[in-house]
Amino acid sequence: MTLGFRLTLPAQVLVLFISLFPLLMQLYISLTDWSPLAGTPWPRAWEFWNTFANYTDIPGDTRLWAALGRTALVMAVCVPVEFLLGLGLGLLFVDDFPGKRLAYSLLIMPMMVVPAVAGYMFFMLFQSGGPVNDILSWFSPTPVTIAWLSDPTLALVAVMAADIWQWTPLMFLILLAGLVGVPQDQLRAATLLGASPWQRFRTIVLPRMKVIITIALAIRAIEAFKIFDTLFIMTGGGPGVATETISVYFYKITTQDLVWGYVAALALFILVALSIAAVWAMKRMAK
Amino acid sequence: MTRALLRTLAILAALAFTLVPILWMISMAFKPFAEWQASGADLTWWPKAPTLDNFRYLFGLGTNELISMLDRTAMKPILSSLLSASVGTLIAMTCGTAAAYGLSRFGSGQNLPLALIQLRLFPPMAVMIPVMMMWAFLGLMDTWFGLALVYGIVTLPFAFWLMKTFFDDMPREIEEAALVEGCTRWRVFTRVTLPMMAAPLAAAALFVFILNWSDYLIALLLTTREWVTIPVYMASLSSSMTGQLYGAKAALGLIAAVPPVVLGVLIQKHLVRGLTFGALKQ
Repeated sequence: MTLGFRLTLPAQVLVLFISLFPLLMQLYISLTDWSPLAGTPWPRAWEFWNTFANYTDIPGDTRLWAALGRTALVMAVCVPVEFLLGLGLGLLFVDDFPGKRLAYSLLIMPMMVVPAVAGYMFFMLFQSGGPVNDILSWFSPTPVTIAWLSDPTLALVAVMAADIWQWTPLMFLILLAGLVGVPQDQLRAATLLGASPWQRFRTIVLPRMKVIITIALAIRAIEAFKIFDTLFIMTGGGPGVATETISVYFYKITTQDLVWGYVAALALFILVALSIAAVWAMKRMAK
Repeated sequence: MTRALLRTLAILAALAFTLVPILWMISMAFKPFAEWQASGADLTWWPKAPTLDNFRYLFGLGTNELISMLDRTAMKPILSSLLSASVGTLIAMTCGTAAAYGLSRFGSGQNLPLALIQLRLFPPMAVMIPVMMMWAFLGLMDTWFGLALVYGIVTLPFAFWLMKTFFDDMPREIEEAALVEGCTRWRVFTRVTLPMMAAPLAAAALFVFILNWSDYLIALLLTTREWVTIPVYMASLSSSMTGQLYGAKAALGLIAAVPPVVLGVLIQKHLVRGLTFGALKQ
């Protein structure tokens, strides 16, 4: 055994431990109707064998497709908004100005706040007698008393606002790191030649930022797809299923409906779909 | 001149959006019970009668006339969060650093970079059922070490990628010199490389600790009573008589926010590298 092999062994064991066993168990359970309430331990799940019934149930699971659609909506709104805000802020921070370091440290604070705590924070902010409505009341003749978290549409707006609050700093941080790497002499030369700010941004800054922008968008898209902590604490997926994203749906059928055979089938389906999407995305990025 | 003014205004607006929620939580943590629920015209942005009662209440040191004592103080959940996040960090950093060095210097474990990215890509929710079954079988449910083991695996990708980029950046000359002096490769790793990398190692460890400390979902599924962590415990801070205990929640939220904010400031210059799996340096 070479030293290199021995050094990588613990990590390999952990990866295998978390991928191989769970996958095999998941495959086995997914072919049965087993549930933790079945009264038999899981190794004897074959007593509930139902072949592919769990898999054929997936296309007709309207709650699943609604949750996926909602997750896509959250991604489609939050990621671009966070990107644009982060980019705008980043552009403001390229040049030096008094108080820059302090402003920078304060602006990246939201991403250090534990997401669950951010959830409780925004839960308080969006109460009908809470500070968000109080601020809105300053601009309105009558006091605003919107019940944000009990309205299906507004609850979605509220959880997206929390996500944007927490993760715009991440975009800002990553994009700023790219922006300061753009050579200043080229920008100055372009200015002297009479290029407008937009032209300079499009022809000098953007091409150099391509990789960084791709990384930033990819990281945020992956995390937004998994959105759970903040959202679940703010609304629990409700009212009804109005803010039920894919992770929340998984959580509910795992802990409340307890249909583990079906959850296992669904999990494998999502894993395969994500793998295909990831390979496709990587190929496109490589081009 | 106007440009500078516009920039100042834009940054002030961003700061307001960023800080108002945090300030609200800080203010709530110091509000007495009577001001928690105040709303509409009575809503106060700053506590009229600041008090430490919320913190005292959390640790069972005092009680409010309206809410009964907690049957479980916040002490054990804080301990649980600390233990599981620290030991999880230790697991991730030990395995991640060793593997990163193995790949960086000996080219072993070529499959690891991709395998670990995949591990990060999938929603944890999608593998939790088998993990829960295994943990129940191994007796790891509702224990701090069971939680720590999952944390170690979940943050292994970050530990590995961060340390790999640090090792890749490190000049090899000193290691080579030590080899010429007759050191074994293992001695070079433990006596030369690791001490030289002390600062990056510390930064990576703090980063991984923040990630573990921030978890909610895994603890929600794997701990039930004895070893619930801070975020899971927070949900229990409500009473049938008075509803949500806003003040107590805000106080505990403030306590939970301190370690990541302090550590985050300490490792500010490594944050970009950490968050992008080492793809970007600042």
